[in-house]
Amino acid sequence: MSAHPLRDRAAIVGVGYTDFMKNSGVSTLALALQAIHAACDDAGISFKQLDGVATHRVGDSVQGAVVLNALGMVDPKFYVDQFGGGSASHTVVGQAAMAVATGVADYVVCWRAINARSEYRMGGTGRPPPDVVEFQYQTPYGYATPPQQFASMASAYMAKYGATREDLGRVAIRQRDNASRNERAMMRTPITMDDYLSSRWIVEPLCLFDCCLETDAAIAVVVTSAERARDLKHTPVLVSGAAWGGGHTLYSNHREDLTTSAAAAMSKRLYAMAGAGPEDIDVGCIYDAFTPLVLVQLEDYGFCAKGEAGAFVAEGTFPFNPHGGHLSAGYVHGINHIAEAVEQLRGNAGARQVAGAEVALSTGQSGYVAGSSSALILRKGEQS
Amino acid sequence: MSDVERLIPYPDRDSALWWAALARHEFVQQRCDDCGTWRWPPRAMCSGCGSFTWTWQPAAGRGTVISCIRTHHAFLPGFEAPYFTVFVSIDEQADIVMPGTWHHADPPQVGLRVQVFFDDIDVREGAPVTLVGWQPAGD
Repeated sequence: MSAHPLRDRAAIVGVGYTDFMKNSGVSTLALALQAIHAACDDAGISFKQLDGVATHRVGDSVQGAVVLNALGMVDPKFYVDQFGGGSASHTVVGQAAMAVATGVADYVVCWRAINARSEYRMGGTGRPPPDVVEFQYQTPYGYATPPQQFASMASAYMAKYGATREDLGRVAIRQRDNASRNERAMMRTPITMDDYLSSRWIVEPLCLFDCCLETDAAIAVVVTSAERARDLKHTPVLVSGAAWGGGHTLYSNHREDLTTSAAAAMSKRLYAMAGAGPEDIDVGCIYDAFTPLVLVQLEDYGFCAKGEAGAFVAEGTFPFNPHGGHLSAGYVHGINHIAEAVEQLRGNAGARQVAGAEVALSTGQSGYVAGSSSALILRKGEQS
Repeated sequence: MSDVERLIPYPDRDSALWWAALARHEFVQQRCDDCGTWRWPPRAMCSGCGSFTWTWQPAAGRGTVISCIRTHHAFLPGFEAPYFTVFVSIDEQADIVMPGTWHHADPPQVGLRVQVFFDDIDVREGAPVTLVGWQPAGD
């Protein structure tokens, strides 16, 4: 079987961060521009070389068109401004990879910019519910916010497989420990199982430490062709696999089992595109808006059998979310997982570096709200 | 709760008849005339066979709890935390999963057999509004 035509044809060559903050004091446009500028600096290119943009948002951030105007980009060759949250986070980078691999554009910048703590909280306390048809079947019931949505899958998962609060707690504790080695992380003080079990309920069965942070931040990544990447500043990080889709919303008439995510179907074609399997993944950046998502994805991406993720995490053999993830480093809606995977594969991750990391899996939200998911398999490339 | 502003359903052109039936305490669902597949939420086309013809048919209003949560944090106006929300797979077709309010002194649990409870909520203006609620099945 011949290799997939997209495999290793595009690369991430620049990563730019703002600080992770509780109140940025600036607009999402300003955040986006700061991150984009930093990503171009990191790539060793001028922002004037960008000829494509790709972002996603849920009515909570500046339009892509406004950003490209602010960049002075008069003739964008590629433009994606997708409605979607964490489930779309890896889609935009996959789309950028397709654009640069096919010659549609040369340098596409992907970003997510949010004031998710100071302006538009996902908890729904500061804005009307998102413009989604199916919310009419949720909001009147007092059921609309992410912790409630993910508590519903946690309830089903725990009932079906006998998973315990301790299984969830070990995810939170591990990631906080990882965050203690990440200078960017917002929460760096380790927590114990007692801390976890005694923290307040948010939505049973989820407590405070099961829930991610709310963060004001932006991150941008620059994507270009694998050929061009060889001559840039850093070790290129190749996009070996990019996939999206794979599932149904709670309301699509096909989901009677909340314990398996969209990633279960999607991961097969992701691995096939990359020519890799779970045994090849050196480090995982696993979407973690809430702890149960990590357990379900470790299963659905094939690292362990269904229902066994609690024990798998307790074994501690597989390095995941070395940055601390959304739970402890900061919540940038998925793109911070891509950025961390790039740093790990460059060997630039400092005290949190996973030794010898050459292949990484980075995943978006696995599909409980939007229905679909997205993910990337990234591989360390070579410079000329 | 009646003096607190609460988000009420906002029917669209697909769902208006379903919400109207619920307000009459009728538990009806769309069913495809051609292949017999049930569907919810209301939609114009059957995803099984592509048919655009359907009939609103009474459903038994019985099912099984597949998930239940208890919200402790008052995210939304008009709700007094803590409160339960249950997710019920209905008997007519297991892949129709419907959230609802909970109406029994005992907490819900996964696997429990339930029947529909027409949850008439108070609103300050306009017609009465009814939500899908659930209670333990009486058999």
